[in-house]
Amino acid sequence: MLSRVADNLYWFGRYLQRAENTARLVNVHAHLLLDIPRKLELGWAPLVHILGAGQDFESRHGECGETNVVRFLLLDPDNPASIASSLHRAREILRTVRDCAPREAWEHLNDLHMFVQERGEKALPRAKRLEFLNSVIDHALLIYGLLASNMSRDVGFQFLRLGTNLEQADMTTRIMDVRSSSLIQPQAAEDLSPFQNIQWMSVLRSLEAYQMYRRHVRTRVTGASVLRFLLQNREFPRSVMFCLTTAGSTLPRLPANRAVERALERTRGVVQDADMEKLVESGLHELLDEIQIGLGQVHEALTAAYFRTAA
Amino acid sequence: MSIDWRLYRCESTYDELFAAAGRPRPAAQRLVDYLGSLPAPELAERRLAAELAIKAMGITFTVYSEGRNVDRAWPFDLIPRTIARREWQRTEAGLKQRAAALNHFIQDVYGEARIVRDKVFPAELLKESANFRAQCRGMKPKNGVWAHICGSDLVRDADGTLYVLEDNLRVPSGVSYMVENRMVTKRVFPELFETTTILPVDDYPAQLSDMLSAMSPRKADAPTVVLLTPGIYNSAYFEHCWLAQQMGIELVEGTDLFVGEDDCCYMRTVYGPQRVDVIYRRIDDLFLDPEAFRPDSVLGVRGLMRAWLKGKVALVNAPGAGVADDKVVYTYVPAMIEYYLGEDPILPNVPSWLCLDEKQRSHVLANMDKLVVKPANESGGYGMLVGPASTKAQRDKFKELIRDNPRNYMAQPTLALSTAPTLTDDAIEPRHLDLRPFILSRGDSAYVTTGGLTRVAMVKGSLVVNSSQGGGSKDTWVVEEPEAG
Repeated sequence: MLSRVADNLYWFGRYLQRAENTARLVNVHAHLLLDIPRKLELGWAPLVHILGAGQDFESRHGECGETNVVRFLLLDPDNPASIASSLHRAREILRTVRDCAPREAWEHLNDLHMFVQERGEKALPRAKRLEFLNSVIDHALLIYGLLASNMSRDVGFQFLRLGTNLEQADMTTRIMDVRSSSLIQPQAAEDLSPFQNIQWMSVLRSLEAYQMYRRHVRTRVTGASVLRFLLQNREFPRSVMFCLTTAGSTLPRLPANRAVERALERTRGVVQDADMEKLVESGLHELLDEIQIGLGQVHEALTAAYFRTAA
Repeated sequence: MSIDWRLYRCESTYDELFAAAGRPRPAAQRLVDYLGSLPAPELAERRLAAELAIKAMGITFTVYSEGRNVDRAWPFDLIPRTIARREWQRTEAGLKQRAAALNHFIQDVYGEARIVRDKVFPAELLKESANFRAQCRGMKPKNGVWAHICGSDLVRDADGTLYVLEDNLRVPSGVSYMVENRMVTKRVFPELFETTTILPVDDYPAQLSDMLSAMSPRKADAPTVVLLTPGIYNSAYFEHCWLAQQMGIELVEGTDLFVGEDDCCYMRTVYGPQRVDVIYRRIDDLFLDPEAFRPDSVLGVRGLMRAWLKGKVALVNAPGAGVADDKVVYTYVPAMIEYYLGEDPILPNVPSWLCLDEKQRSHVLANMDKLVVKPANESGGYGMLVGPASTKAQRDKFKELIRDNPRNYMAQPTLALSTAPTLTDDAIEPRHLDLRPFILSRGDSAYVTTGGLTRVAMVKGSLVVNSSQGGGSKDTWVVEEPEAG
């Protein structure tokens, strides 16, 4: 396995996952806005912040109106996290590693890319958007399914899984971070609590986790149990712990590297030791920051160990 | 409403499918009958299906236009070009003969140069050859093979004679499209394959893989073979990926390889360096190694020539093989066949005039409006003058070019390239075409593709078939002729 190819498969996994998560995020946010009373003024700004693109957005688009934000998230070629640019990059990468991935995956990614290019502009208004985003999600899952069913579990596949899982862990923490920052405000008055629950539910829905959460928790939705589910659950595939564990399970298949193992272990420790009851009160943002830094360190370690190897 | 073949006018030159208007050649009979039986809407539907298949299969080529690289869908014409098997067998033998002579020639010019000493080939042509690499002198690659892969362009004149137009020995491309065209035809016209015996073309990647492995300098069971590409911005990148994928070998870029202190070539992998035995390189000589050739090349691998000269790694095609891929050297190929093999050439060259020779040059200068003038070392149809279609200003410019550098120019009569029926927007009309078969040489044996890539000039009357200049392609069928009766 060439270092460059491993690097590309890793990033391909990340971009595909990113496109899918962004599509879910926009969908769920639109739903949420319909249920929230106007005076909360949630608006579309949180979505821009989830992706850490606040400054870039403001300098180029100004106000965080629905049309601006949706275009920014779906189609903006200059926003590296937009669906269009994630897919564009995924496609460029797959072009360079086309010989490693099954041909059908390339055909479907090509289709998806063309679909977004051709239909994206028309899908900005609410009425058309849901269907469009659902198609993007379906298509991304189809590609992932093709890879999962048709690709040999060779070293290349392990890098793809690493990318997919680290990106999901990252997106999960980002979604939690922004969603919760607006609802763990101390000024949140008693009478807004029903809406708080709606917001916690939307956090779950952004991650397609509501149903699985319900099966697992069975009590009413509370902040602490949602946080526990999304951070520590070992069975839900979008929980941070699950992603980190899956990422860890690829390592025995790769050339041994202590730095990567250590970085991953450290990050798992941070997630494992978190106290949910306290976090609902305060410190969630700091914890999520710490996890993200941990994920960044895993990425750095992978890069040094496998992608930028010296002669 | 369906195709009415009686309306197909093909009298102006030789047509590959029709012997005369309304009278298909035997090899094309079933195809013509079948197409004639399709109602017009059905044909339109199949055509759309082919376009969609090409888009979905991601069969593309890259063109440089308006300052950037654009990925275009591969242009494909639905109606296949047929070749009778008996004719093909003779052509195949002719191509193998040619490739053998070319390899002898290359080995000779980098060695004793007997052909120059014996005055069959003029010394001054070598001295001024842009593709002669002095660094290769004295080298003898495994089995004496330099041009392992050769793409020779064949054209047919009005009288039906098949000529070799040129031999591409540097990094010939197009073979992936040959196989993909067949895939598309199978998807769109599956019925045809039930009634006609069409010889398969998809053996090529396996043959190529065997040949590459056989070139390994080490006696290992499974040599490490890689394909070296200049990267995704190269116009043939699709093909590089395709071939690597078909052969299951690594597709590498220059930065993935390095030459170690032991002069062996390695690739950078997640396990650390891994020794490479054979490099199928799709990078031009001059970019191959900044140490030996262009120092500014970022595509190549420093020290690669050193590794090759020491026999630590095989390069396919060998550096310097392009010395025989020169439109002036081309004119000597029939002489090479006689000189090295003691045989008569099976396939003729297109009659050519060399501007180097004073008498021939005056003929060229006096007949510019009737001739095609070509520079020795351009490819892709660039830099040439098509006399009958030229303006006086263009001819004057070429006269000057020829007088300045006669060695660099040759001229040929304008052939009335053969045609085949091609779908246009509203009809079926004859369009000119050529054929590029590929020959694999390993020293002990040779392989020729079944047919090859047919390129067709989509513009009415045009003779330019290059895909970078608006050319299209057709599936090429070598057909077992039905028994008479």
